[in-house]
Amino acid sequence: MLELSGVTAGYGETQVLHGVDLVVREGQFHAILGRNGAGKTTTLKTIMGLVPAKGGEIRFAGDSIAGREPYRIATLGIAYVPETRDVFGALTVEENLHLAARIGVGRAGGWSIEKVLAIFPNLAERMDNGGNQLSGGEQQMLSIGRALLMNPSLMILDEPTEGLAPIIVRQIFDKLMELKQAGLTLLLVEQNFHFALNLADEVSVFGRGQCIWTGTPDALRMDEDLHKRWIGV
Amino acid sequence: MPGGADFWITQFLNGLQFSMLLFLLSIGLTVIFGLLHFVNLAHGALYMLGAYVGVSAAAHLGGYWSALVLGPLAVMAIGIVLYLTLIKRMRRAGPMNQVLVTFGLIFVIVDIVRILWGDVALGLAEPASLSGPIQIFGVSYPAYRVFVTAVGLVVMIALSVVLNRTQIGAMIRAGVENDAMAACLGINVERLFFLVFCVGCALAGLAGVIAVPLFSATPGMGTDILIPTLIVVVIGGLGSLNGAILGSLIVGFIQTFGAVVTPGLASVLVYVLLAAVLITKPAGLLPARG
Repeated sequence: MLELSGVTAGYGETQVLHGVDLVVREGQFHAILGRNGAGKTTTLKTIMGLVPAKGGEIRFAGDSIAGREPYRIATLGIAYVPETRDVFGALTVEENLHLAARIGVGRAGGWSIEKVLAIFPNLAERMDNGGNQLSGGEQQMLSIGRALLMNPSLMILDEPTEGLAPIIVRQIFDKLMELKQAGLTLLLVEQNFHFALNLADEVSVFGRGQCIWTGTPDALRMDEDLHKRWIGV
Repeated sequence: MPGGADFWITQFLNGLQFSMLLFLLSIGLTVIFGLLHFVNLAHGALYMLGAYVGVSAAAHLGGYWSALVLGPLAVMAIGIVLYLTLIKRMRRAGPMNQVLVTFGLIFVIVDIVRILWGDVALGLAEPASLSGPIQIFGVSYPAYRVFVTAVGLVVMIALSVVLNRTQIGAMIRAGVENDAMAACLGINVERLFFLVFCVGCALAGLAGVIAVPLFSATPGMGTDILIPTLIVVVIGGLGSLNGAILGSLIVGFIQTFGAVVTPGLASVLVYVLLAAVLITKPAGLLPARG
């Protein structure tokens, strides 16, 4: 479904990605782990076209997408839940959802605003509130709900648990597990080791702007050297 | 100091009318600023072009009403040409380059106007139906100035409905707040910008046409209005409709009342206010990005 080979990218003169290779198969829940500065977030931004790929190849569902504009990549079926959530504060919750539903209409996936509100009932009570009035957890739910409404074939999430209370983290975990079981392809960047390993089918470990290792969660749990060198748990 | 209720009501109506003219100019400028961080100093020159095209349209075609239709359309067409040839390339060139290029455009446009229309003030008669005075709030006031105010109010209400009640309005507000995330929801922000730019140019042209019966068309009119328009944008807050409304009213009333209450200080007052806003609320009074 998604394949990165030898992708290099960075900000201005600073190169952050030094040849990233990554394969996400259809229906897979793929998690990326690694320390701060390993290039995880930049990899997601490069997939979305927000950071231009300087070299290498990015293929999504057979198309080469490197160098395409972010709105085209989104329209092809990749939904992005950024680390900063990026809920539109000047728009109501309802408007945030409607914007995302605009391109989701007519795509396979079957998500509608009613269905999103059914899995995130908190949002139903907040429909007329501005995005800037939501709590951190509600913003995360809105950001995920918005991504679902695009009816994507691949959803990528950047640290969805960051800064959230454990009870909210648990809720997000359950929802992601439901999405996984429903067969959605997911790519997750996480610092929360157990959260990621309990969800993922396959894990990639990033370090120094490259993918160092890829394997199953169980294989990663066994490999203490890998932990110490690249993850630090 | 002159007194009497009639006098103050007249000044109030003048202030409102000048505010509406400023609003028509500043709304296009502020949304272009806000949506794609593009600094278009040539906005005032487009206003002047609207005025001159209007004068010619009225002379050769069918009087004021043909000017009112053709002025905005012509300026929009000129805006499209500018967009495709210059502005699109300058999108990521940074504010300093944008300021220099659009500042240069002012001189180019002013000289083109001098060549085509000459260096004299040209007039445009208001339509006969609006030429007389009407009674409003108990004072006799030129009907044409009421018409100018009404045009501004109609545009204000229409833009407010589009921006706050329609999907395209939500897309524009989302793009102003966070263009990268808007794009990640599949919104073509570049095309949205083009659309907004066209509407902004048309409104500058409209303001140019309706200003001619009040002030005449002169090659300096664009630069004269640019400064108060920029002040409106900065005071109101970049990218915000409500900011443009509030900023226009503040600047329009301060300039109008300043001129009659303290003529010596009038030109300074607006700058004092600008400085005060920049010190206390650097993002403007009602910025689009909370």
